[in-house]
Parts: sequence; C-alpha cells; structure tokens
Amino acid sequence: MNLLVPLPVILPLFAAGLNLMLHRRQVAQRVVSTLTLATVVLLAAVLLVLADREGPQVMWIGAWPEPLGISLVADRVSALMLLVSATVTLAVMVFSIGQGMTSEDTGTPMSIYHPTFLVLVAGVANAFLAGDLFNLFVSFEILLFASYVLLTLGGTGPRIRAGTIYVVVNMLSSMLFLASVAAVYAATGSLNLAQLSQRLGDLPEPVALVLQLMLLVTFAIKAAVFPLSFWLPDSYPTAPTPVTAVFAGLLTKVGVYAILRTQSLLFPDSPLQGLLLGAALLTMIVGILGAVAQSDLKRMLSFTLVSHIGYMVFGIGLATVAGFSGAIYYVVHHITIQTSLFLVLGLIERRAGSSSLLRLGGLARLAPLLGVLFFVPAMNLAGIPPMSGFLGKVGLIEAGLEVGTPLAYALVGGGVLTSLLTLYAVAKAWNLAFWRTPEQAHEMVLSLRSARDGGARDLYERLEARDLPTRLPYSMTTSTAALIAVSLGLTLAAGPLYGYTERAAEDLKARVVYVEAVLPGGSR
Amino acid sequence: MLAFLLAHFVAGAAAPLLVRVLGRRAFLALAVVPLVTFAWTVARTREIQEGGVLTQTLDWVPVLGLDVALAMGTLQWVMALVVTGIGGLVLAYCAWYFHEDDAGLGYFAGTFAAFAGAMLGLVLSDDLLLMYVFWELTTIFSYLLIGYDPAKRASRGAATQALIVTTFGGLAMLVGILVLGHEAGTYRLSEIADSPVSGTAATVAVLLLLLGAVSKSALFPFYFWLPAAMAAPTPVSAYLHAAAMVKAGVYLVALLAPTFAGVPGWHGILLSLGVFTMLLGGWRALRQNDIKLLLAYGTVSQLGFLLVMASVGTRSAALAGLAMLIAHALFKAALFLVVGIVDHQTGTRDLRRLSGVGRSMPLVALTALVAGASMAGVAPLAGYVAKESVYAALIDVAQEGDGTGLGPLAGWTVLLGVVAGSALTAAYTLRFLWGAFADKPGVEATPVEPAATGFVAPAVLLAASSLLLGFLGGVETELIAPYAEQFPAGVHDSYLALWHGLGLALGLSVVALAAGIALFLLREAFGRMQKVLSPPLSVERGYERAMRFVDRAAVEVTGMTQRGSVATYLSIMLVTVVLLPGAALLTVDRGGEVALWDRPAQAAVGVVVVIAAFLTTRARRRLKAVLLLGVTGYGTAALFLLHGAPDIALTQILVETVTLVIFVLVLRRLPERFTDRPATRIRHVRTAIGVLAGLAVAGFMIASVTARTETPVSEPFPEAADEIGGGYNVVNVTLVDIRAWDTLGEIAVLVVAATGVASLIFIERRNTSIRRVRDIPYPASVEKLPTGPGRRAWLPASRTLRPERRSLVLEVVTRLIFHTVVVFSVYLLFAGHNNPGGGFAAGLVTGLALVVRYLAGGRYELDEAMPVAAGGLVGGGLAVATGAGLAPLAFGGAVLESAIIDVHVPLLGNIHLVTSLFFDIGVYLVVVGLALDLLRSLGSGIDRQVLHEERRRERARAGAGTGGEGAS
Amino acid sequence: MTANLTLIIVAATSVGGGVYLMLERSLTRVLIGLVMLSNGVNLMLLVASGPAGRAPLSKLAAPEEMSDPLPQALILTAIVITLGTTAFILAMAHRNWELNGHDDVQDDVEDRTVRRLAAEDVPSDTYDLTQRGEFTADDEQTVSVPPELPDPVGSDRRDEDS
Repeated sequence: MNLLVPLPVILPLFAAGLNLMLHRRQVAQRVVSTLTLATVVLLAAVLLVLADREGPQVMWIGAWPEPLGISLVADRVSALMLLVSATVTLAVMVFSIGQGMTSEDTGTPMSIYHPTFLVLVAGVANAFLAGDLFNLFVSFEILLFASYVLLTLGGTGPRIRAGTIYVVVNMLSSMLFLASVAAVYAATGSLNLAQLSQRLGDLPEPVALVLQLMLLVTFAIKAAVFPLSFWLPDSYPTAPTPVTAVFAGLLTKVGVYAILRTQSLLFPDSPLQGLLLGAALLTMIVGILGAVAQSDLKRMLSFTLVSHIGYMVFGIGLATVAGFSGAIYYVVHHITIQTSLFLVLGLIERRAGSSSLLRLGGLARLAPLLGVLFFVPAMNLAGIPPMSGFLGKVGLIEAGLEVGTPLAYALVGGGVLTSLLTLYAVAKAWNLAFWRTPEQAHEMVLSLRSARDGGARDLYERLEARDLPTRLPYSMTTSTAALIAVSLGLTLAAGPLYGYTERAAEDLKARVVYVEAVLPGGSR
Repeated sequence: MLAFLLAHFVAGAAAPLLVRVLGRRAFLALAVVPLVTFAWTVARTREIQEGGVLTQTLDWVPVLGLDVALAMGTLQWVMALVVTGIGGLVLAYCAWYFHEDDAGLGYFAGTFAAFAGAMLGLVLSDDLLLMYVFWELTTIFSYLLIGYDPAKRASRGAATQALIVTTFGGLAMLVGILVLGHEAGTYRLSEIADSPVSGTAATVAVLLLLLGAVSKSALFPFYFWLPAAMAAPTPVSAYLHAAAMVKAGVYLVALLAPTFAGVPGWHGILLSLGVFTMLLGGWRALRQNDIKLLLAYGTVSQLGFLLVMASVGTRSAALAGLAMLIAHALFKAALFLVVGIVDHQTGTRDLRRLSGVGRSMPLVALTALVAGASMAGVAPLAGYVAKESVYAALIDVAQEGDGTGLGPLAGWTVLLGVVAGSALTAAYTLRFLWGAFADKPGVEATPVEPAATGFVAPAVLLAASSLLLGFLGGVETELIAPYAEQFPAGVHDSYLALWHGLGLALGLSVVALAAGIALFLLREAFGRMQKVLSPPLSVERGYERAMRFVDRAAVEVTGMTQRGSVATYLSIMLVTVVLLPGAALLTVDRGGEVALWDRPAQAAVGVVVVIAAFLTTRARRRLKAVLLLGVTGYGTAALFLLHGAPDIALTQILVETVTLVIFVLVLRRLPERFTDRPATRIRHVRTAIGVLAGLAVAGFMIASVTARTETPVSEPFPEAADEIGGGYNVVNVTLVDIRAWDTLGEIAVLVVAATGVASLIFIERRNTSIRRVRDIPYPASVEKLPTGPGRRAWLPASRTLRPERRSLVLEVVTRLIFHTVVVFSVYLLFAGHNNPGGGFAAGLVTGLALVVRYLAGGRYELDEAMPVAAGGLVGGGLAVATGAGLAPLAFGGAVLESAIIDVHVPLLGNIHLVTSLFFDIGVYLVVVGLALDLLRSLGSGIDRQVLHEERRRERARAGAGTGGEGAS
Repeated sequence: MTANLTLIIVAATSVGGGVYLMLERSLTRVLIGLVMLSNGVNLMLLVASGPAGRAPLSKLAAPEEMSDPLPQALILTAIVITLGTTAFILAMAHRNWELNGHDDVQDDVEDRTVRRLAAEDVPSDTYDLTQRGEFTADDEQTVSVPPELPDPVGSDRRDEDS
C-alpha cells in the first residue's frame, strides 16, 4: 500500500480545476502548471526508486479491500514510463509558456491550453498506473479528450480537418476498447489486470485468443501499428508545435505500453508473436518510406514516428526478456527524442517562419545553435552511435539474433534498413533546410510554386522583408536544450538504465511479481 | 589512452570559441592535442616493440556487452602514429590554408578535431561494438567536413553520397559484429582471437564485416564516393581521404586477417576486388585533368593495393602490407598538402592551366618530387622499400602458396595485377608531377603567390620522413614485426631493406617503373585508347538510380497507403477487427447455452430499437435522423430498466434528452438534408462492413458470455456498499466510492469536453461576458411599458426576445416549474446514495431546467438563471471532487477513502453523512457546468452569430438601397 | 452463464447501423452513427452483466436476486462520456460548417499531393531538390575549362572537340 501512487494523476487534475477557475490570471496559471508538473516529476522519481528497491508499489483506491475496487500499480515499467513522460511534459510546458501560445499563428487562448494540458498529463499518468482494464479505458478517454481539444485549438481550417480524422478514428477505437472490456468481463467476471492474468488462463483457448486479438487491435490503433497507422501523419502535424511534440512523444507510447502490459501480463504464451513481428516489420518499412516522400519537416517527423513504433513492437513481439528490455529502452529513448525534435521544429518555425523543406534554407549559417539543436537529436533518431537510438537498436537486434527465427532475422534486416532510410531522410532535411542557401530554396520554390506550393512566402522573401525574429525566447531554447541533454544522458547512463529495463523485463516475464504485489491475498 | 581520446573531443567542443578568440591561429592550438598524443605514442615504442599490448577498460553497457575497452598492439600503435601525427600536421597546415573571414570556420575546426578523436578511437578500440561507434562517428564527421561549403550543390550531394554509402556498409558491418558477438559470446577482439568461432553464422558475420570495410575504404563497387568527396577542402582530403579514414577498412581487414583469413570467400572477395580496384583507380587517374581528382583516383588504386596486401595473410605479406600502409600515409598526405598549396597560391588545380609552377615554388616541387617518387616506388624511398617486399611476399604466394591455400593461377594473377597497378601508379605519378609543376609549351606561366614557410613545412616534413624511412628498413622491420608474427612463418622470413639482392622482386620493380614511364611518354596515344575503351563502368549512376528507386517506391507506397480519407481508415480498422478477432471466432466451439430473452418485454422493446436503428440509417433529413436516434436511445433506456438497472435507465433518458436538445441547437444552423449520398457500390461496401461488424459483435458476446465460469468480482458489492460505503444504492456507491477513480476520470473528460466545445464556438475568447438584463441598453425603438401591478413579466429576460419568438405559456410553465426542478435535482443528489439518482442524474436534471429557461427566455434568461462563468463552474467542480479525493490524506487515510459521519444538528436531528457525498457534489457541479457551457456556446453563442449575420445582411441591404451615397 | 439473444441482437444491430453511418461523409451522420454505436456497446456491457435481476438497491432486493451492479456503473460512465463526445463533435461539425459551408469530412491535402506524384510517376519534391543535376566524379563537372585552352594531353575533352 503506497499512498503516493495516485498523486501523479490526481494532482494535475486538481491543478486543472484551479486553472479553469483562474482563467483570467495567466501568471497564476503558469505557476500552478509548472509547479504541479515539477512535483509530478519528483513523485515519479520517488516511485521509480521504490519500485526498483521494494517491488511494485500498489494502491487500492479508497483503501477498498482487494479485489473490489480499482488498483493503481507502479511497477518498474510503469514507474519508468511515468518518470520519462513527466519530464517530457514539464519541458514542453516550459517551452509553450515561452512560446506564449497566444502569439504566433496558433491563435490559442492559454487559458484553455493550461488546464487541458494538465488533464492530458493526468490521463497519460493514469494509463501507465492503471491496474484495471476499465480504468485503463477511462485514462485513454481522459488523454484522448484532452488531445482532441489541444489538436483543434484555434479551430483553424486545417486543424478542424485533421481534428476530424483524429477524433473519429479514436472514437471508433475507444468503442472497440469498450467492446473488448465488455467481452472480457463477460468471460471472466473481472476487470483487475492481476486477477485477469489468472482467470484468462482458465478460459478455453479460442475464447482467450478472441479477447487477446480484440485488445491487440484496440491498442494497435492507439499505437499506430501498420495497417492501423495511416491516420497519424494526417492528424498530428497540424497542431501547435508543442502539442504535436507531446503527442508524438507520449500518446503513441501509451498505446505501445498498453500492448506490452496486456500481452505480457494477460497472454503470457501468446500464439501471436508472428503476427506482431510481421506488423512491426511493415510498420517500420512503410512508415519510413512515407518519411522519405514528405516535403514538410513536421510530416516527415510524424512518419518517422510511425516507423520507429515498429522497433518497439519488434521487441514486444519477440516476447523474450531481452526483447522486452530493448523495447522499453527504445520507448524511453523515443519519447525524449521525438519530443525534442518537434520542439526544435517549433524553434525553426519561430525563427524561419516555416517548416516546409521547400521553403527553408541556409539555417546552418543563419542560426548555428539551431543547427546543433537539430543535428544532434536528428542523428540520434537515425541511430548514429553512441547515442541512445543506436543503443536501443543494438539491444533489439541482439534480442532478435538470440531468438534466431527467420522472421526475427527479417526484422533485424528491416530494422537496419529502416535506420539507413531514416538517416537518408534526416540528411535530406539537413541538406535542404540547413545547408542550401535561402536563394537556392527560393529558385526551387518559384519553379514549384505554380504546381504544388501553397504560395506562402518562403524564407528568402521573409529575410528580404526582415519580418523574422532574430533571437528566440530563452525558455524555449533552454527547455529544448535540456530535453536534448536528457536524451544524451540516456547514453551516459545506458549501463544502469539497461540494467533497470532488464530487471523490468524480467518482472514482465515472471508475472508473479506483479500479481502477488496486487493480490497478496491471492484472491482469484 | 582514454584521456587522450577525450582530449580530442574536448578540443573539438572548445574549437568554435578558440576560433572566435584566436582566429585561424586556433588551428595551431588544436594541433597540439594530436601532436602530444603522437609524442605519447612514440614514447610507448619500447613496450610495443617487445610485443606488449597496452589495454584500458571501462564498463559502459554490460547488458549489451558493450564496454569501453581499448587495446594498443603493434597494428594499433602504427595506426595511432599515423592518425595523430598526420592529424597534427594537417591541423597546423589549416592555419595557413583558410582565411580569417571564412564562414563557419569554428564549427569546421571543431568537427576536424573531433574527427581526429573518433579516428583515434577507431584504431584503439578492442571491443568491436565500440569500434563501430567510432567508425560511424568518423562517417558523420566526414559528412559535415565534406559539406564545409554547403552552398555548392556538389559538396552537399557528395557529402550525402559518402554518408549513405559508408553508412550502408557500416550497418552491414554492425549486423556482422552483432552476429559475431552472439556466436563468440563477446565483442572483445582479443578474446575472439583466442577462441575463434567458425560455422556458417561466423562466415556470414565476417563477410558482412568485410562489406563495411570495402565500402569505407572506397573499393569497387563503392569507390565512387571518394573522388566525389574531393569537393571537401584539401586538408580534409589529405587527412580523411588519404591518411586516416579510408584506411579504416584496410585496418579492419589487417585486424581480422590473423583470425579469419581462412574464412571461405575471404581471399576470393578481397583479392579480386583489391586488384580490380587498383587497376581501375590507376586507369581513371590517368584521365583526370584536376590534379586533386588525379590523386583521389590514385588513392582509390592504392587502397585496393593495400587491401590486397592486408588480406593475403602470410607473415611476409603482412609485414610488407603494413610497411606499404605507412609509406602510403606519408607520401599521399604530403601530395595532397602540395595540391592544397598549389591550388591556394595559383587559384587553379587544372593541369592544363598550370605551367612553370615548379620554377616559382622549387621547395614545393621538390617535396612533391620526393613524395611522388615514393609513391611510384623509386629507390631509396619508403615506397620502394615496401614495394620490394610486397613483390617478394607475392612471389612466395604465387610460387608455393605460402600457407594461404591459394593456387598458383590465383597467385600469379594477383602478382601480375599488382605489377600492372604499379606501372599505372608510376604513370599517373609522372602525370601529376608534370601536370602540376612542369613548364608547358604554349601555356603562359601561372602567376604564383609565394607560400608561407609554415604552410609548406608539414608537406616537407612528411616527404622528408618518406626519405628517412627508406633507409631505416631494418628498424622498421623490428618495430612492426610483432604484428607480422601473428601469422605462421612463411617460406622465407622477410625483412624490409633497400637492397634484397638481384632477384625477381627487383626485376618487377624495374619493369613496373619502365612501363609507367612508357605509358606517360605515350600518353596521347594511350589517352585515345582509353577514350575508345571508355565509358568505363560507372557505378555512381547505379547509386543515383538506386536512390531514385527508393524515392519512387516511397512515393508509390505512401500514395497507396495514405488515402487521407476518414472513411477509408475506419474501413481498414473495421476490416482488421472482422478479420482478426472475428475470424478467431470460428475456432470457438459452439454449444454454450443461449436464451431468447430473460423477459419477453425485452423482445418487444428490442424490435422497436432495431426498426428505429434501421430507419435512422435510411433517413435523409438531419432532424428525422436525430429523432429516430432518440428512439433507439430511449429504447435502450427501457432495456436497461427491464434488466433491473434503474440508475442507468434514468441517466440514459436524461442524457438522451440533453443530446436531442444540443443536436437541435446545432442542426438549426446546418442544411436540412444531408449532402447527396455516395454511389451505390460504395454504399454496398459500407453495408457489408456494417453487417460484418454486427455479426462479429454478436459472436464476441455469445462466445465470451457462454465461456464464463467464475463468479463476478462484484458479488460482494451489496454488503460492501452497505457496510463500507454506507449506502443502499449499490450502483451509486460503486460510482462514488468503490470505483470512484473511474468517475473522477470521467468528470475530467466532461470538463475537457466542455472546455473544448467552448473553445470551438468562441474562437477568440474563452468566456463570453455574462450580461444581465439590467445592463442591456434599450434601443430607441423599444418604448418602455410601465410594469405596474396589472402586468408582470413572468421571466426577467423574455422581454429581450422578439414578440414572435415568445410563448407566454412556456414562460409561465417555466416560471412555475424551474425552482421545483432544481430542488428535485438537489434531492436526487443527496438521495442518490440510497436510491436511484446521484450526482450525474442530479446535474443533468438541473441542466434540463436551464435548458427550459433558455428556450423560454433566450440567452439573457440563461444568464439571469445562472450568472456565473461555465468554465469556473466545471473547474470548481473538478477542484471539489479532486479535493474530496485528496482530503483523506490529511487524516491519514487513502485517496478517495470515505468515512461515515453521524452528526446531530439541532432541528434536523441526526444526519447520516458519508464523506463520498462531497465527491458527488463535485460531480454534480461539473455536470451542471457542462450543461451551462453547452447552452452558452451551442445556444447563446450560435444565437449571437445568427444575430450578427442578420445585422450584416440588413446593413448590406441598406447599403444597396442607398448605394449612390454609400459609394461617394 | 447464459447469453441473452435478444439483447445481443439489439446490440449487434445498433453496432452495425452505427458503423454503417460512421462511414458516411457528413459529420452529423458520423456522429449519429457514433451515438448509435455506443448504445450498442453499452448493451454489450449489459449483456456482460449476466441475467436480468432486480434493481441493486439493498433495501429492496437481496444480493442474490440483484442484477450485477458493476457493469451498470461502467455503462453509466460510458453514457456520460458519450455525451461529452456528442457535444464536442457537434461543435466541430458547426465549426466545419462555419469554415466550409458544409459539415462533410474532408480529405487530407498533403496526402493528395503525394498521391498525385504517384500518379504522375515522378519522385518526391525534395528528391528533386537534393539529387537533380548532382555532381558526378568526372573532371568535366568539377573543374570548368574554357574550350580555347590548349590541351597538351590526350584527355577526353579534346577527343570530344575533334
């Protein structure tokens, strides 16, 4: 029984309530939000230490006797996810305060942004902690609704278009989730994950398989796994950059986490590894090809996001300790790196007024610091050693070789190919946005404009017109830099971190750790 | 060792600052780092010569078996000397090569220093994975260095090409390393060497490693990136593309040769590729007019040569190969530096423009002459010495195999190939010297600025050491012998010396030189012949075609998958659901017991719902569809009631009503009918999907329900609700206590939904100001009626409505019932714990009361009824609920833990109070706030928009009426 | 446990009809479909709660004759969430109408661009930018030589001139 466990969820909600009440006091809102998120980071850190030292931290809400109520569980995996997501959200919050969402093209009332963002954080935290299938559904709803609002902030045409795709798709997946919950309860009469892990085992295998597939499809939509991933690149890029950043960093990973948790805890000896691996392979390849085809940085990054989900599913599909461990490490890496990349993108948009590769140019000379801030995480994403992307890849490939089935080898190959194409994509972006001179970009746009360019002014023209800010707010640059520093820290601390993920993966494989922590009474 | 390694990277990081302070002299400061490392390495000579190996280890990622393990044996020692020594000299050289005002000099300097560090790390790492780390780092840094002048499209393209090609090889190598490590159980080369692995996996691994080496060392078919990379500044070419990086592949082969030279395919691949590349490079070098490109192709050729020697795998070959590697590093770096000087002082690298440069820069010319002679293999220079023993070694292989298992045919072919290659080498050396320095008939002497001594010094130094080394064959042999001794002793024990006595080797040297001179003299004829034989196979076209293919594939695949239409995406998901879990249903054995109904009434209601649902799908009018939907909704509520679930029945009815209202509020703005329906074919597809989804759902439920054996976890709820929860209404206790956590999340959802709706309607500002009737300015047209005793307004704000929109009856009714309803809702709230009701129901009832007020009296009436900001209300509700959740912590309880308090209040008597009530109050507030927010935005907000549009239209009409004046 | 066929059929129909409507273009229809779908799913939860019984009010019924209260709590939560959904999507439909004069769901623009490229069988825009007219490793490209220069060596250029 650990009283701290619910706090990472309930504190942000409380703060959200306060924020709504002080909607006219911007400064107060900022203070509340920032302090709350900082507190959550601390709490997460504490939970991580406790979970590692003393095993899973469990809390039955309202101190109800197990297995009546709802249990929240912070085991090694959850605690790690919680810590990373909290850190990322804090950075994004600072960034967006600096950006001052009211300014810029977003036309966004901060008074909405703050509470909604906090609710999003609460939802994500709850999803990581949930020890109950229906509560997992609720947490998904929380973070989804918050994301709906954040995605359509300002209600501009593109955002409504993208928002519609996003909302409708996710509504359907939510309904599917609810249907799965109904089926699961119908078959087992329980919702508590620990209890389910025992009861599902007793079901006739075909029924268990049906339930497993229902849950898998549900979460595959959230996690954007091929062929359920096409909605993502159409919806993410239009949001305000900090929003896209936190979406790209967190939301899909919540889906990945859900897959990992349910597959490992509820369906231990799954017959679906082949299916998962195949899906992972296609996700990687199709996703990265999409990235190569894009001519806008935001979209390109969204496609790499989808593609790299494949790596994580790869690890989960292997269903070995090494596989899980690699997947977890990769999730941590990817959360940090995708978020920081999108934040850098925000800086680029701020500095150069566009994110279109057709219009950008010469940023390396124009803003060398920006160049560093982009190049490092971009190379990290491409898996260039010694950065975390490389370490994650190595962990997964080692796991794949250990399994040694033909499909596993295929995935090793696919993974390597994907990282080569990722490198190609980011190098292309670097060549165009940072190396090529604005004049060259301008010529190019002129030749294309008639055909397919929106006709908005490119960097060259705006430089001529001098209507660009020459320096960026410190809070934006520092928060971005801090996050990048964290991602580099993942390299330095790779030893202990990998040790931790290894232990976490062992817990996942040996389910007793979780089950006994939640149901010490052993009730079925 | 680690310290020196890190020093390089620190220097790299500090470089931009240094450059800002010192200008280009910063390069001299940076040069100190590698030169000190060089000195340190030289100081290690004794240990190394005695065959010692310096090691240093540091744990990094034990789980992956990736450690910072450094080891310096002879081979590493030699490479380290080359890397640091030449690195230092080139850095110094930069101080004169660049100008103060060159843009981005700081970042260039930093990258260069960091590259030197990465290169050093590459040659020092014992852990193969660690080596790969540095291997890729060199690739990345070279990418940045080649793109030093990114305005030139050529350098951008060259940089990308080099990056992609070498990374391609690199990744293959990575897989190779991982497979090897998986086979051997370690990544430490030293340990692998002690217990070599064999078998298919090991072979594959080694071949993959070789792929990496071949691509890095620019061998055929990857050679093309190297000449292209000449777009880089000359110091970069001198260091990366002559002395250091391109040697990495050769180094790797030399490193693996002692352990893996026996692997099937090793000799076949490396020898053939090596010899072919040597010839191809030489051949193409003779066609170049740009002296830098000429050298570049020369390097390609030499790399092939070196790879051959590194891969043969006999003791004498190893010795010769290593000697050749040293010699090459010395002369090729020197030559590139010379090119840099010539380019810098004359402004051209075209040998058709250069003339008489030799006379104006005698020292430089002499330097080039010495270095060139070494390259061509002229006594008494290092190149000659090495080549002599190369021939000796290859002759042994050709004559007796020398333990390599190579047949005489292969052996002789290699030997002849190498000799022919050397001939070409001699030829292009002459072409280079002649082209750069000779006086050419008919070309006026090129104007030359005098070069600074410091600028020339590094080249001179390198050339001088080429000369010196020529006489130190004995010493050199002793120094590098430990490496060669890793191989089994050969038929002759070989040594480096100027004079091996008259023999075949000497003969071959002479032949090669003579042939080279001949080729140079007959260059015109030879050039024509080349032209005839050309075009030589051009692989770079292949590269471009490959990249284009990738891009086209990307476009096609993306075009295929990203349809951009919601319907498509939904269909894909639904089909997935039908195909995966749906199909799995077929494996479920049927035979569970199924009842038609629990109560016949269910069937009756069911029929209604089914029909209504069907009609809804057919409806063409929005309103009709919504009403039919309402029917299904109320029907569902009836089903809930029949099932014994009054709470959800009540909530469903209330929600359905609110839904209807807000639907209508919005639909008044939308066109009456739906836009025309799609083509029948698509409709059929949709019908099919719908039917399948329905079937799947039915299947899921039958399968899962009939599979239930366990008793539900909720069995003890009733007692628990009574004893712990202190309430008789089990559902309500479940909501506000047992599963209050869900409810908390749910109201969070409502809060966000309310916020979102408002944000979409009031785009610019979150909260529309609340206006009481008394604040409304009366328009002049309205004449005030005295509100005497005779006439009283039923509702304060209904006057604000147009007469035709007012309905007295409605106003009266509203006036009469409003407060009653509100009171009732409060009752529901408090009674909920024991009877049907609770926060949700109560809130919705209040909401409906507000709806009535709004409908009767318009938006001002709403503000009269509830003069508070909706945002504040929902926020307050959330705060109350969460606060109620957090409060128990203060009393040492758990979050959302409830307590039962019996308080005696005078007049009211004993009150049985359960703290979870406060939570329910929060819920109530949120729901009321939601209702208010919906009415404010979907009701009042849209009212205002309508009003504004009407006003605009009127103004337009007025403008049209008085058009004449309006225009003027 | 016994399955109640009536409820299952009603649930299935609502789901089927809802799905059918969700595949339409008009956002209003999509929303109507969604609400119908969620009614169906709620009925699935009701089915999951097993046989009908008396209302779970401790005063009125004994525990064993009550209907399972847990799914009812879940359904209630689901109903209320659906209300939020309805409100939000309606607001989006309205905004959509404000912006475009209709409430149809629109397709993504960038995707259309790529699809056109695919149809035209041309590579991506950015591919053109990086690769087109790129260097090759031959001397003609990397050093430009005015043709009038005397060419003392038998290199390619003169052969071309002749």
